[in-house]
Amino acid sequence: MFDQFATAEPDEAMQLALRRVAEQTEAGRGSDLEGLELNEVIVNMGPQHPSTHGVLRLVVTLDGELVRDVIPVIGYLHRCKEKLAEKRTYFQYIPIVDRTEYVASMNCEWAYVLAVEKLAGIVPTRRAEFIRVITGELMRIASHQVAVGTFVADLSPLGTAMVFYCFNDRERILDLLEEVSGARMMFNYFRFGGVRYDLPDGWVEKCRALMKEMPKLIDQYESLVNDNAIFLQRTMGKGVITQQDVVDYGITGPNARASGIALDLRRARPYSVYPELDFEVCTGEHGDVYDRYQVRIDEMRQSVRLVEQALDMLPRGPVQIGSLRPPYVIQPPPGSCYVGQENPRGEYGVYVVSDGSRYPYRLKYRDPCFCNLQLFGKLLPGNKIADAVAISGSIDLVLGGIDR
Amino acid sequence: MAWYWEIVRAIVVIVVAYMVVFVAALVNIVFERRALAFMQDRHGPNRTGWHGVLQSIADAFKMMGKEDFRPALADPVIFTLAPILVMIGAVAIQLVMPYTKGFTPRDLNVGLIYIVAVTGFTTIAILIGGWSSRNKYSLVGALRSAAQMISYEIPMLLALVAVALCAGSLSLNAVVDLQSGYRWLVFIAPFTFLIYAIAAISELNRGPFDLPEAESELVAGYGSEYSGMRFGMFFLNEYAGMTIMSMIAVALFFGGWHGPFEDLIVIGGVAIVPFVWFMVKTYILVFCLVWIRLSLPRLQVDQLMGFAWKILVPVGVLNIAGVAAAILWVPQWRVGVAVFSWVVTIAFVGLFDPVLKWRLRRERRRVPVVSS
Repeated sequence: MFDQFATAEPDEAMQLALRRVAEQTEAGRGSDLEGLELNEVIVNMGPQHPSTHGVLRLVVTLDGELVRDVIPVIGYLHRCKEKLAEKRTYFQYIPIVDRTEYVASMNCEWAYVLAVEKLAGIVPTRRAEFIRVITGELMRIASHQVAVGTFVADLSPLGTAMVFYCFNDRERILDLLEEVSGARMMFNYFRFGGVRYDLPDGWVEKCRALMKEMPKLIDQYESLVNDNAIFLQRTMGKGVITQQDVVDYGITGPNARASGIALDLRRARPYSVYPELDFEVCTGEHGDVYDRYQVRIDEMRQSVRLVEQALDMLPRGPVQIGSLRPPYVIQPPPGSCYVGQENPRGEYGVYVVSDGSRYPYRLKYRDPCFCNLQLFGKLLPGNKIADAVAISGSIDLVLGGIDR
Repeated sequence: MAWYWEIVRAIVVIVVAYMVVFVAALVNIVFERRALAFMQDRHGPNRTGWHGVLQSIADAFKMMGKEDFRPALADPVIFTLAPILVMIGAVAIQLVMPYTKGFTPRDLNVGLIYIVAVTGFTTIAILIGGWSSRNKYSLVGALRSAAQMISYEIPMLLALVAVALCAGSLSLNAVVDLQSGYRWLVFIAPFTFLIYAIAAISELNRGPFDLPEAESELVAGYGSEYSGMRFGMFFLNEYAGMTIMSMIAVALFFGGWHGPFEDLIVIGGVAIVPFVWFMVKTYILVFCLVWIRLSLPRLQVDQLMGFAWKILVPVGVLNIAGVAAAILWVPQWRVGVAVFSWVVTIAFVGLFDPVLKWRLRRERRRVPVVSS
C-alpha cells in the first residue's frame, strides 16, 4: 500500500477493500513471492467517473494495471420508487415506473401495466396490444443504440463517432414516440387495458419509412467497428460469462443470450401478441464482450422486423377498454402476482401485492441490471483496467433500475 | 558580435519559438474540433468568430481566469514545474526545423539525435506532473506515459537510423536535400515511414495510443488534478505536438519544403513559397492524425507494449538491415531501397490484419462458455 494515498476516513466499501487486501497479504496470496507485501492501490471509480454510465461506484483494488478486486457500491440514485407505490393509486404510479429504467421506459411501463392487468383481470384491446408491441420494440432499438454507442465510447475516442451516429438515429425514434405519447423520455403512455392515445394520422407511414431505413443504419454501425482489428482485440475472448454464471447469477437478456442461452421472455413466457409475430432469438456462442455487442446489434434488426410486422397486422378499433377514458381507479382483488417482461436489458419483473384497496399494498421490481451487476465481482478481477471498463460497458447497466 | 547581442538574439528566438507553439496549438485545437465534428455528423464550435476560429482563444482566456488550484497533498514545487517543463520539447525541437529554403534556425549536424533527445522532455513533465498530483489516476496515467515513451522511442530511433543511412548524414537539411525533385523518402522507403508514423503517434499520446489520458478509464489521466492554465499548458503542448511531429515527418519523408515555384519570392535569402509547401504538407498530416484518432479504438496497455517490443522493434531492425544492404550493394540505391521497402510494406500491411484476426479467433475458442 502507498501511505501517501491513504484516504482520511475510509467508508464501508473502502474498509472492506482494505480488509480483503490485508487478508490476502496475510495469506500470501496474490503475490508472486509469498510473504511479500502486496503493491495494491485501492481506487474509487465513480460515482462520477466517465465510464460508469450514471452513478455506479466501483471500489477497485489495482495491482499495477491489473484489477484484483471489485466492490460495487450502489444507492446513489435511490428514489424510493417501491415505497412510493404504496402511497399512490395504481393509476397515479404509472409515470414513476418510467423513471426506474429510464433508457427503456416504455418497456418498464409495459411490465407494470401487465402485472396490474393480470391482477385485476383486465384484458387490453387488440389494437392497443399491437401499439404496445410497436412502441416497445421501437424503445428496444433506441435502448440498444444507447447501449452500443456508449459501450464503443468506453473503448475509444472512435466511440464518440459511434455515439453520435447512434444518438442521431435514436433521436428519430424518439421523435416518433413523441408524436405518439407527447414525451421523449418519460412517456406515461400505457394505461390499464390499453394505451393513452391512438396513433396520430400519418404516423404509420412515417414509422414504416424509418423502419425501412433502419437496417442500413445498423449496417453502418457495424461497418464502423466490426472489422477493426483493434476493436476485435479489445473485445474477443474478454469477460466471458459462462452458462453456469448465467444460471448462478440470474443473468437475463442479451447478456445471457450472448452466452448461448436462448432465453427470451417474448418466447419463453409469451405475453401480449408476441406468439403471433415472427422473430428470431439472437444468441452468441462465446459469451464474451464481442458477442454481447453483436447480440444487441442483431436484436435491433429483429426489433425492426417485429415493428414492421406489427404495423402490417395493426387492426382497427379502440385503444382503450370501455369508454374513451382510461379506468382511473381500479381496485384489484386481494392477491399478488409477478409478471416478467423482456426489457432490452433482461427480465424486468414487477411483483404487485394487492389488499383490495385503491393502492398497491406492496410493489417490488426484479431489475435485470441489478442481477447483472452482481457479476462484476467475478468478471472483472484478473483483467486490465481497460478491459474492466470494456466489460462493464458491455454488460450495459442502467443505474435508475438498480437503485430504483 | 558583442556578447549581449547573442543574449538578445537568444531571447528573441525563444519568444518566437514559443509563439509558434502557441499559435500552432490554438489553430490545431479549433481544426481538430471542427474536423471531428465534421466526421461525427455534428456542428462543432461555430459561434466564436468566423466558423468558430476564435474558439480556442476564448477557451484560453477562460482558463486563465480560473482559480489557481493545487491539491493539498500535492508536491507544490514539482506540481508547478511540470506544466512549465512540458513545453520545452515542442519549443526546443524547432531549433533544427528546416522551415524553408535558406532558413533553418540552427543546422545541427546531429539533428536527428537532437530530435529524439528533446522529445523525451514531454514525458518527463507528464511523469512528474502525474506523480506530484498524488492522485491514483494521475499516477497510473503518468506511468503509462513513461512506459509508452520508453517502448516507442526505440522503434522511432530505428526508423531514424534508416533515414540517416539513406541521407548519409544526421542533419535534417541533408535529409531534405536528398529529397529534391520529388524523390521523397515516403516513396522510396515507405516502411520506414510506417514505423516512424506509428512511433510518433504513440509519442504524441494520441490516436489509438492515448492511454496516458484514456478518459474512459483514467478520467483525465495524468492531468486529472490540473486545472486552469496549468491544464492549459498540457493541453496546448499536446496539440502543438501534432504540428511539430508532422513537421518532422514532412522534413524527413515528404520532401520538406520542396515543391513547385521554389524561387518565386525570395526575401533576404529566405524563400517564401517553400515555406507554404512545408505548412501545407504539415497540415495534411495533421488532418491524418485527427482522422486516425477518430477511426481507431484505443489499444490496451499490454497490447501496446506487445506491439512495440514484439513487432515494431524486430521489423525496425529488419528495415535497417534491408536499407543498409540495398545502399551497400545495389548501384542505384534508391531503386534497391524502394523495392525492398515496398515489398516489406505490402507484406506487413497485408499479413498483419488477417494473422491478428486469425489468432484472436483461435484464442477465443479456447475460453469455454460451457463450464463443466
